[in-house]
Amino acid sequence: MLTMTNVKKVFRTDLVETHALRDFNLQVDEGEFVAVTGPSGSGKTTFLNIAGMLETFNEGTYQLDGEDVSHLNDNQRSKLRNEKIGFIFQSYNLIPDLSLFDNVDVPLRYRGFDAKERKKRIEESLDIVGLANRMKHLPSQLSGGQQQRVAIARALAGNPRFLLADEPTGNLDSAMAQSVMELLKEINKKGTTIVMVTHDPQLATQATRNIFVKDGQVSEINDVVAMHVANG
Amino acid sequence: MLELGPIFRALLRNKIGAILIAVQIAFTMAIIVNAVFIIYDRSQQTKRPSGIDEANTFFISSSGFGDDFDIKGTITQDLEAIRALPGVIDAIQINAIPISGSGSSMGLQTKPGAEHDGTGVAVYMVDEHGIKALDLELIAGENFAKSDIRWRGPAGSKWPAKVIVTEAMAKRLFPDLSYSEAVGKTVYINDVEPMIITGIIDKLQAPWVGWDNLDNAMLSPEKMEFQSTRYLIRTVPGMRDQLMKTVEELLAENKSRVVDGMRSIDYVRERSYRGNTAMIKILTTVIVTLTIVTSLGIVGLASFSVNRRKKQIGIRRALGATKADILSYFMVENFLISASGVVLGAVLTVALNMLLVSALSIPPLDWFYILAGMLVLCLVGQAAVFGPAKKATEIAPATATRTV
Ligand SMILES: Nc1ncnc2c1ncn2[C@@H]1O[C@H](COP(=O)(O)OP(=O)(O)OP(=O)(O)O)[C@@H](O)[C@H]1O
Ligand SMILES: [Mg+2]
Repeated sequence: MLTMTNVKKVFRTDLVETHALRDFNLQVDEGEFVAVTGPSGSGKTTFLNIAGMLETFNEGTYQLDGEDVSHLNDNQRSKLRNEKIGFIFQSYNLIPDLSLFDNVDVPLRYRGFDAKERKKRIEESLDIVGLANRMKHLPSQLSGGQQQRVAIARALAGNPRFLLADEPTGNLDSAMAQSVMELLKEINKKGTTIVMVTHDPQLATQATRNIFVKDGQVSEINDVVAMHVANG
Repeated sequence: MLELGPIFRALLRNKIGAILIAVQIAFTMAIIVNAVFIIYDRSQQTKRPSGIDEANTFFISSSGFGDDFDIKGTITQDLEAIRALPGVIDAIQINAIPISGSGSSMGLQTKPGAEHDGTGVAVYMVDEHGIKALDLELIAGENFAKSDIRWRGPAGSKWPAKVIVTEAMAKRLFPDLSYSEAVGKTVYINDVEPMIITGIIDKLQAPWVGWDNLDNAMLSPEKMEFQSTRYLIRTVPGMRDQLMKTVEELLAENKSRVVDGMRSIDYVRERSYRGNTAMIKILTTVIVTLTIVTSLGIVGLASFSVNRRKKQIGIRRALGATKADILSYFMVENFLISASGVVLGAVLTVALNMLLVSALSIPPLDWFYILAGMLVLCLVGQAAVFGPAKKATEIAPATATRTV
């Protein structure tokens, strides 16, 4: 369902060329919950950005749901992103000026749903994350864990096939991190494919598959011990 | 995709900048709309026809000196000589020049006696050539005959028996009659001296362009036996400048007088309306400056808010916003600000106009100007926000993940 073959990504600045991804190969199947770990600067975010079509890449092919996305234009990518992908970010990335309701509403409006449909979806997804009673609140009135739950609700509201999460628990204490993890596992059980970047091996082990990224390439390992060896 | 609701609610949480810009738009609109209206009003005023053949008419003064200066003879000879010049349509002696700023006025009334009010009227003393020289149209009654013309002495004298008035004057004197029915009526000058209206002319303005009774004028069949006098000469088109020289030289041949003050009517109009022209220039500058300042304010606020919301824009892009969605977000946001600005602006515009009406005798504003002002300021707002909004669309979707 997500297939990257020999994907290369080079960042060019005036002084340096950074090969963020080199011959990056990965296949993620429907229903998987993949945890991505790796050292800082190894290319995890770059991979996630390309997977979510937030960034383009230089070489290789990327097929999402069987569709080659490398030749899509900006509008087509926006549309596909909106329909198929839900994003969860480390710093929650809620829009501070908007209520929880309006925050979850953002991707739904870009989707073009009518008001009734949007309202139904917003209420449902806020209910899933346990915040249906705080719809009118602003993000600043919530704790970090609650904000991340709203972000998850926003990612879910459009019913995406894919959830991409970049260190979703990075700003949370371990108890809150675990509860967000439980929520993601629940969502995964209902059929949503999840790719999550994390630094926390404890959380990574709870995924169905672990991937280790180093120097812009994938080395796949399935058990935690092996990963620690590779890491150290 | 219209996001009115959320845009409005987000705006309410960041009101200060938006309110300042809306208020600026409102004041700008009030000033601009009134300025445009004044400009229009003044330029219409400047364009009002005087009734005479302005492009082909000039005048010149002659002042005789010495006790033995033959006034009547000189005037008669001068007029004969000037009228005989090729290219001259006609020439007259006249006491005042329309729209020139100086002349004399009297009051005419329909009943004799000091207890009755007169209607102000500009007096032009002319002979039977007056109508032709001034390019007037006699729309009722008849012109003066040569025998009607009498000499007015320097000490002043009674008024002649006949008078020709403008249509506007006839209507003021006899509001219930048609202008042609005014012919034959007696009016009184100096409270008690009767004059019979023998003719109506279409249009002739008074010398004072700011006068309320600008269109009230009368022709009195007189020549003036004054040392100093003035001739008005009308030429065929294209001959004026050439004839100005010729006439000046012709009159200068008589060494017992000084010839001076030769001016074209074009010059007189320019001079009389110089105040309007200056005001129009100043107001135009005000309009341009205000528009620029307000546009810069909008550009500034929009750039600031784009910069402040870089991350948010990246997030929106990540969540599926197209570039067009981002563009429309800022355009709609600006429209909401402008729209509230111009609504307030409409109120301020009317208020300012009411102030000006009482202070500067400017007519009340046409509602059309207010509508046009609202529209124009909204368009200015949209144009000003377009640049920053376009920039916002260039913010990369990856901003959502790359920046903290
Ligand atoms: N916009 C950019 N311009 C230039 N270089 C970049 C850019 N974005 C990322 N890089 C570089 O690409 C490499 C991979 O970065 P990336 O953010 O993918 O790493 P990461 O694995 O997510 O690291 P971390 O765990 O610290 O988040 C790094 O060397 C980074 O400096
Ligand atoms: Mg990263």
